[in-house]
Amino acid sequence: MMRSRSWEKVFFTILGAPAAICLTVFFWITSVLLTGIGTIRLNLLTTSALQGGLFEMIVGTAYLLLGAAGVAGPVGVFAAIHLTEYARHGRLIRVIDQAINNLAGMPSILIGLFGYAFFCRQLGLGISLASGWLTLALMMLPIVIRGTEEAIKMVPYNFKEAALALGASKWETVKSVTVPSAAPGIITSILLGMARVAGETAAILFTSCVLVTRGLPKSPFEPVMALAFNLFVKIVALGESPDKVFGIALILFLLVISFASVGIALRIYYRRKQPWLR
Amino acid sequence: MVRKANKGLSKLVAIAGMVSLLIIGLVVGYYINAITQQKSNTNYPQEFGEDIAWRTSSITLSGSTTVLPIANACAVAFMNKHPGITITVQGGGSGVGYSNVIDGVVDLGMASREPKTSEIDGAKSKGVDLWLHPIALDAVCVVVHPSVANSSYPLSLTLQEVGKIFAGIYKYWDEVKPGLPHKEIVVVVREPGSGTRGTFEEYTMHPWKYNVTARASVQPSNPAVKNKVETTPYSIGYIGFSFISEKMHVVALAKEAGKPHVYPTVNSIAKGEYPISRYMYLVTNGQPKSGSLADRFIDFVRSKEGQQIVEANGFLKLPYVYPTS
Amino acid sequence: MSHNKCASPNFLKSFDKPVEKLMFLCALSSIVFLFLMLLFITREGMQALFTFGADFIIGPVWETNSNLYGALPLIYGSLMVVAVALAVAVPIGVATAMFVEEVLPFSIRDLVKSLIELLASIPSIIYGFIGVLFLAPQIASLFGLSSGTVALTASLVLAIMTIPTIVSVSGETIAAVPKEYKEAALALGATKWQTLKNVVVPTAKSGILASVMLGFGRAIGETVAVLMVAGNVAVIPTPPWNILSPVYTLTAAIAMQMGEAAVGTLEYSALFGLGLILFIITLVVNSLADIIAKKGIKGEKGL
Repeated sequence: MMRSRSWEKVFFTILGAPAAICLTVFFWITSVLLTGIGTIRLNLLTTSALQGGLFEMIVGTAYLLLGAAGVAGPVGVFAAIHLTEYARHGRLIRVIDQAINNLAGMPSILIGLFGYAFFCRQLGLGISLASGWLTLALMMLPIVIRGTEEAIKMVPYNFKEAALALGASKWETVKSVTVPSAAPGIITSILLGMARVAGETAAILFTSCVLVTRGLPKSPFEPVMALAFNLFVKIVALGESPDKVFGIALILFLLVISFASVGIALRIYYRRKQPWLR
Repeated sequence: MVRKANKGLSKLVAIAGMVSLLIIGLVVGYYINAITQQKSNTNYPQEFGEDIAWRTSSITLSGSTTVLPIANACAVAFMNKHPGITITVQGGGSGVGYSNVIDGVVDLGMASREPKTSEIDGAKSKGVDLWLHPIALDAVCVVVHPSVANSSYPLSLTLQEVGKIFAGIYKYWDEVKPGLPHKEIVVVVREPGSGTRGTFEEYTMHPWKYNVTARASVQPSNPAVKNKVETTPYSIGYIGFSFISEKMHVVALAKEAGKPHVYPTVNSIAKGEYPISRYMYLVTNGQPKSGSLADRFIDFVRSKEGQQIVEANGFLKLPYVYPTS
Repeated sequence: MSHNKCASPNFLKSFDKPVEKLMFLCALSSIVFLFLMLLFITREGMQALFTFGADFIIGPVWETNSNLYGALPLIYGSLMVVAVALAVAVPIGVATAMFVEEVLPFSIRDLVKSLIELLASIPSIIYGFIGVLFLAPQIASLFGLSSGTVALTASLVLAIMTIPTIVSVSGETIAAVPKEYKEAALALGATKWQTLKNVVVPTAKSGILASVMLGFGRAIGETVAVLMVAGNVAVIPTPPWNILSPVYTLTAAIAMQMGEAAVGTLEYSALFGLGLILFIITLVVNSLADIIAKKGIKGEKGL
């Protein structure tokens, strides 16, 4: 017995090594990028791209993100409400479920390819902010739906029952009880969706970005400059040396990581705050 | 015990979330401030009675990735010079450049080759008249380390011989030409996707369906190749004309055996005698209206200032001088 | 469902209907778009499929210059890179999931899981950037290669990108193993390790398998990072298992050449044809993962 116990310790230590590898990789990437922080200046963030800064790219990325969230948020939340509160379990729901999983697993390059063929060419939106919004929204949708579903399922059943017993209609219950109670979870899922698409390159490659233009788009039908796209074109097409694009890489990394960490932290916080689950 | 620890942690996490939200908020505020400041900067002095319509217009360019660095740098310089105008530069390829001009999607196409017959036919059927405006020359020079050849023992090769070296068919220098050292050839190339590599392979590799040897050292930029060839004995590489230095030997090239071997010089490149050279074009539908933005932009690229940008990007300026805009 | 139709005043119910319909449409959107994707990618890819027939899939030459489009080298490149990536990622990922769910004290479990999830959220362009800048030179000097952008580099980058998926999905199923099973095993005198080996892993087996399938789907669809480090040579390596030679993948070909291809040309259509191949692969893999995961849950209930 003693022997097996000490073996066990060895085993579990060995089992810990892969986890350590994962964490090391994460910290390595972070440290590698942070060593580049010396090469960038703070005014890079506020000077225009015409003066060699990143201003339009950062704000352009924000435009893309907010627009995509504006499309995927409502659609995703409505879809999730339907799936959890209204739908009866049946064949259609199983198919929808399957479709959401498949959409979540679709490679972003295919979504970009579809976005180009459908939004840019078929709908005639061209290379524009709007095409980018719709394409990115398609990527966010599964994340928002799943996150919202989870949040709604966490709302205790007796909350809803109480509302229904008071004579509220189904929609009123959803509107005034279910959604407000699930709101933190919904917002978290949208944040996580934004983190997923913030650094996305393949999906906006053909749909909404240009290398250089003046200023920010004045309407949704104009193209936009974005961090990820510029980084890609500068490295792959223009062959610029890595030290010249270190600033873009670092800022993109920080942007995505901050979105993701806020989202993840909020999710853990709200999962723990709901004691009825445990 | 465990739950207590959790409470502490979740508090910590919540605080971390709040702090990062605060930072995001600050950044957003800073930006909104910056946007408003930028807007007030766009007031430019009105110049005399000249037609000012072009000063507030915008054009879009798309096409060849080889021309992209020139177009990008020129667009930035031009926009800095004229605060009212907008030039949008998209990527693509020469094919996209031509087809977009034919379809009327963009004002200016970028191309690093002449149109194919199919493209000319397509343009004709749509009533489009393709005009090519040369803006730069691209010459790729083959260079070797002085340990292989120097000015007293020069090296001249045909395009196919160059192809064989880069394909790894010749492994030692004395296989190429008797009298060269019996040393293994160190092949230095650019990364796939590079415009310089594209031009080079189009002339030396593609006609014979050669592929670059797997032993080739891949470098990310012209200066990197220059550095590698300068420092590596028995190496061979290729670079844009403006990157040639004294610490390397330039190889004279012939189109095929029997034809004269030509050194890359400004003169021989401009006359088209040097075999690995081509023009870079901006493409328009018909002659651009004089004084229009497209016309002025083409003039700018061909002006002294524009040609300096061309040279800074590793291309050759045009052999003739255009009046400055 | 039990709480589906509840009594409520009729005049309020009238307002329910349009909203319900709107929600239903939103729920349908994922099916609609999935269908539209298939439709449009097929439509644009038709020309290449008709021109080359079966040769489009089994043709060994992919050459834009001579307008020959046989996707075999690209399919092979994709599968090879992903296979090596999974060979690295699955052991590490599953072991990490077991360690995190079963060994780590509860208080730091979420922290470690969050860090691994952050690893997943790093944009692929950043992975590509780091791969080109640091990993490729390392690989080159380690194996004495002239260039480090080879299949192995791409596989390692992909492995790092796939591990979080495997950890989170298989971790979920390991965590879902009923406490009673473990307690029963421990009560019978089994050690913690024996419990893990004989109770937890067999119960979570299908979930772990599903996580591997999902990892496969994620890896084969990865574009930008692979494009930057795989070398992009559309030839099947010689010998075919040589992971130190450059390869071209389906996704890289689409991303690299789409900008160059003028609309309506054969090249344009061939790239959509590649998209169709990729679409079918991911659809099959994801559906399999779904089925395996669901089967696992059912099997558990029957236990």
